[in-house]
Order: sequence, then structure tokens, then C-alpha cells
Amino acid sequence: MFTPFIPAFALLFQEAGRFAVAWQKAEHPDLSKFLIIGALLFIIGVAGVLTRRNIIVIFMSIELILNAANLNFVAMSRYLQDTGNVNAVAGQIFTVFVIVVAAAEAAIGLGIVIALYRNKETILIDEIDILKW
Amino acid sequence: MILSGWESVFFWIFSIAAIFAGLLTVMARNTIHSALFLISSLVSVAALFILLQAEFIAGVQILVYVGGVMVLFLFVIMLVNVGSEERGNEEIFNRPRQVTASVIFCGLLVAVLIGALNTGYAGFERRDEAKLQASAAARSTRDQDLATSATGASRITNDTSRIGNSLYRFASLPFEIASVLLLVAIIGSVMLARTLKQEASVDDVDPEVLRKEAAIDPELAEVQSEPAA
Repeated sequence: MFTPFIPAFALLFQEAGRFAVAWQKAEHPDLSKFLIIGALLFIIGVAGVLTRRNIIVIFMSIELILNAANLNFVAMSRYLQDTGNVNAVAGQIFTVFVIVVAAAEAAIGLGIVIALYRNKETILIDEIDILKW
Repeated sequence: MILSGWESVFFWIFSIAAIFAGLLTVMARNTIHSALFLISSLVSVAALFILLQAEFIAGVQILVYVGGVMVLFLFVIMLVNVGSEERGNEEIFNRPRQVTASVIFCGLLVAVLIGALNTGYAGFERRDEAKLQASAAARSTRDQDLATSATGASRITNDTSRIGNSLYRFASLPFEIASVLLLVAIIGSVMLARTLKQEASVDDVDPEVLRKEAAIDPELAEVQSEPAA
């Protein structure tokens, strides 16, 4: 019954072996390390959005996700600068816009939270079910 | 872009700090603690930006995120603090089945993403190896051309001026749209956060609703009877 999972386990073990090799290269972090840190932050944010009940913590997890995307943008921008791309600062400009949109999103979202709390007296998402019937 | 020496030490310190602070953000029981851990995660990522020589972005990150957005978060937490979560009466996570499913999903995502990043980057490295070595050599000579700071101990980067040039040359329309977006966000959040009383005082409520609510809350009727300025 576990047969369909064998490829996934094999992949995990293979990745574990690769991780051991990567540890030896750890004293010279390069682009891939920054991307991995970004991926981990992203996944922590996704886990927060999926598991928490408090809507404010969910908002904070979204900020974490956006921040992971920013880290990827900036790391890629630096890599492109090193490989001689002409307009390599574009990644950093994207980051500025992501920060602007995150600020706007936080303002609107927290306004909604306040309005919601005033009407429903709760900020736990499983108790906010007015749209469900 | 290969860090070495102290740079790599700081890279590991700040990346581990960012990840642990992120985990604690998700797992802390007290919402205020969550916000403080998120602040430390954001500051660690700002330090990573400095390691990537994006000093302007690091400054914007600290000023806008930590100084603006997180303070807003803290204000809202204090406005709506329910307290039962912190006292341990409430479960902070969803039901166990949902949590298990999402943790398994995230674990698979970690495995696949790290595997894909490693193989993908190996291809990048093969393609760009010569360029990367040349740029590491060129960077050290190019850094000598930058102006020294007032104490002469370090050099002033031109990161901000390059971003400014690019921003206005290639992204001036999105820049203007962003300002409109911020205006809309300000107006929207003010509209959303008004109370019924504030809405009634500027005569912005459906009279039907207002009559119904005034029957419950006599203060609303007083507001309504005041002549509009």
C-alpha cells in the first residue's frame, strides 16, 4: 500500500545526501543559499496561514511570505549584477513596489479586522462564518 | 556572488535568526510576542539585504516594515486583544487534522523546493562560472573607485543613486500608480474603521438602518438630531 510513496521517500533520501554535500560548501554561501533561506521563510509563512486561527497572526504570516519573495528578488538582482546584466537593479525596484503593496495591504486588512471585531467580537477565523450557510 | 570570511559568518547568523524568528512568529501563543518575533525576522532579512549590497532596500525594509507596518500591527493587536488565547483557554491552531495536512504539505514543499533549487543552481553555476569569477575580480577594483566616507574608514556605495535612476527611467508609471494605491489604501482603511456613530454624524448611513440602530442605542439618535455642519 505504500508503493506510490516510494519515489517521494527516495527523493527525500537523495536530498538528504545532497544536503550533506552542501554542508561542505557552507563556508562560501552563494545565490542558492539565499534562495533556500527565502524558500524556508516562504514555507514558514504558508504554514502559518494554513494552521493559525488568529487573523492577525495570519496577516503577519503573509508579511513573512512577501518578505521571502523580496529576499529572492534581491538575491537574483545581485546575481544578475555579477553576471553583467545591464539593468540588474530591476529586482531591487520590484522589492520597493512589493513593500509599498504590503504596506497598503496591511492598512486595509487591519481596517477590516477592526470593523470585524466591532461587529463579531472575535478575531478567530473559524468563528467568522457569516458567508457560510 | 560568493560570500567568504566574515560575510559568510554573518550570513549564517542572520539567516538562522530569520528562520527561527519566523518559526516563533507562527508558533507563539501571545500575539504581541508574534509581532516582536516578526520584527526580529524582518531585521535579520534586512541584514541579509546589506550582505547582498542592497543597502537602500535594507533601509526601506527597516523604516517601512519595522517602523510603519509593524507598529500598525501592534496598535491593532492592542485594540482587539481578546486575551483568552494568551491565558491558554483557546486553542491557537486549527483542528489537528487540518494542522497535520498542512504540515505534511509544507514538508513536501520544503523537500521539492530545496531539491529543485540545488539542481537548478548547479545549471546556473555551470553556465556562468567564468562570468562570476571575472566579476569577483572586477568588483574589488570597482569598489576602489567609490568615494570614501568622512572618516575615511569605509566607502560610500552608489546603490541608492542607481536605484533612483532605474526607478524613474524604467518604472515611473508604476511609481505613480503606487502613489494612487497608497491614497486608496488610506481612504479605504479610514472608511472601514469608522464606527456607526461616526458614520451617522456625517450623515452617511442608510436612514432605515439608522432608525433600527437608534432604537437599540439612544446615543445614536442624539448624534442624528444634531444639525449637520
